[in-house]
Amino acid sequence: MRQFIGSIVRRHPEGVTISMVVLISLAFAVITQGSWLSVGNMQSLSQLTAVLAVMAFGEAIVIATGEIDISVGSVSGIGALAFLGLAPVVGSGLALLGALACGILIGAINGVFVALLGLPSLLVTLGTLFLFQGIGYAVTSGFSFAATDSVRQQWIYNAVGNSGVAGVNAGVIWALVVLVVLQLVVFETPVGNRILAVGGDAASSFSRGVNVTKIKFGVFVVSGLLAAFAGVLDAAFIGYADGSFGATMELSAIAAAVLGGCHLTGGRISLIGTLFGAFVLRGIQSFLILLGVQPQWYILVVGLIVVLASLADRTLTRFATKQ
Amino acid sequence: MATTDGTTDSRQPLISIRNVCLSYGNFQALTDVSVDFYQGEMVGLVGDNGAGKTTLIRIISGIIPPTSGEVYFDGERITKFYPKKAIDLGLECIQQTIGICDNLSVGRNYFLGREPTKRFFGVPFLDKKKIRDASAKVVHDFGLRDTVDVDDEIALLSGGEKQTFKIARAVTFRNRVIIMDEPTNHLSVRERAHVNELAVQLKQQGLLVIYITHDIFQIHRIADRIVIMENGRKVTDVPRDAMSAEALEGIIRDGGRAPAKGPKPS
Repeated sequence: MRQFIGSIVRRHPEGVTISMVVLISLAFAVITQGSWLSVGNMQSLSQLTAVLAVMAFGEAIVIATGEIDISVGSVSGIGALAFLGLAPVVGSGLALLGALACGILIGAINGVFVALLGLPSLLVTLGTLFLFQGIGYAVTSGFSFAATDSVRQQWIYNAVGNSGVAGVNAGVIWALVVLVVLQLVVFETPVGNRILAVGGDAASSFSRGVNVTKIKFGVFVVSGLLAAFAGVLDAAFIGYADGSFGATMELSAIAAAVLGGCHLTGGRISLIGTLFGAFVLRGIQSFLILLGVQPQWYILVVGLIVVLASLADRTLTRFATKQ
Repeated sequence: MATTDGTTDSRQPLISIRNVCLSYGNFQALTDVSVDFYQGEMVGLVGDNGAGKTTLIRIISGIIPPTSGEVYFDGERITKFYPKKAIDLGLECIQQTIGICDNLSVGRNYFLGREPTKRFFGVPFLDKKKIRDASAKVVHDFGLRDTVDVDDEIALLSGGEKQTFKIARAVTFRNRVIIMDEPTNHLSVRERAHVNELAVQLKQQGLLVIYITHDIFQIHRIADRIVIMENGRKVTDVPRDAMSAEALEGIIRDGGRAPAKGPKPS
């Protein structure tokens, strides 16, 4: 029995998070007398979840290699500002490419310092977090960028923003597309096998011929790209962005990944779990709003959840890997 | 060509190490090491802890580049050192402390770095059936218990099973060179005999086998040549028949000072 449960936990680390989603959804629905589960709340909740999840997927890939990227909040801000700033000038199509290029560039900067020069990712990305937050404040200089009326007519703007299919927001569809692609890459391709191997034991994977530098550089680029894309999805939905756009999002992204069963020590991640982790965090946030609780309490709750989740995770992993 | 012990040998060495030094800051891990290894021989690389045996084979297997000196493989000078290069040249190394990623399944560890793929729409996907079947056949051929599931994390194997796995992997992908760093650690007496038999078979199949061990008596029985290292230097390099195991042990015990009748330390 223990062996059976152990093998399930080992192969499906997201199981705990998914059962948690079911439980809190029920609890929240009952406590708010159904309004948490209403179509309107679910639509806004799914959009918020999608934006966070896209960012958290990139974070999860970095965590898979045993590194961390805390610059993602600022990168999403830069992505949002580049998109809304460029769209009136060059059109939303080129603006989208420009925003994604910014994300790739920042990811590459992180990658050079971490993968090539071997600096600790925590310090490097803390530096770029502040650096690009500063640049965000500097370019907006206290104002905000907003989508003009002509930009709002463009189909690409709507394809990443306010449109949707059968009541499902565009952002949600994009998040699912990113999830499917990454799920295949990480778990079904040689590159994915090597990403997980580097996180499990970098020296051993190197000795087996894996190019550790290339893998680590690559995950930071992907993380930058996805963070910028998350910023674009958010900005195109809301329609404006200021210098503080994306601030503290990195904390929620890391929390979503950890909650979803990604081990910060590397080598073990779940992308599906990360999606549910993002849903849990955003669900709690909307629950607190529906209850009329001050939004500041959300940060406190997130902190508590992350600590408890790590504790539960370690207990469970010890249980599962014991013979 | 002139070999390091001054005699001449008409064959070209498969691996030739010439005047290799390696230092980490002020620490000199290897000092002016020159040694040749030939196709179809088994060389016992012996020495005390910290003698530089593992460091030397880490250079040969491309994990670390030497600070100075030259390394030749099949007559060609190696200028860039990375493990993929060594693997592509046909060298498999059973490392003592590394080589396994605990978080991956047995099958994924088996094929790490050389994953078999199937293409869908031009994208290479892991051929999971081949990974499962091929690795299952190998681990069971090498005597791992039947309950080992190659889809399960390799962390669940015992130390001896992991060692057997590493040997099985190296032997199955064998090509031209097999380096074994303390291969019998964690193994039972019966398994040790099996590994030693295997090393002899590989040599007989024409491979170069470099066998690192502390145990001079064990290696003296099976190796063709014994190389002793001490404090980062090569101190002895003799054909097996030239000296008894007891005499060689004496050299190791005396910290590398060879007796008068032995060859001069380089």
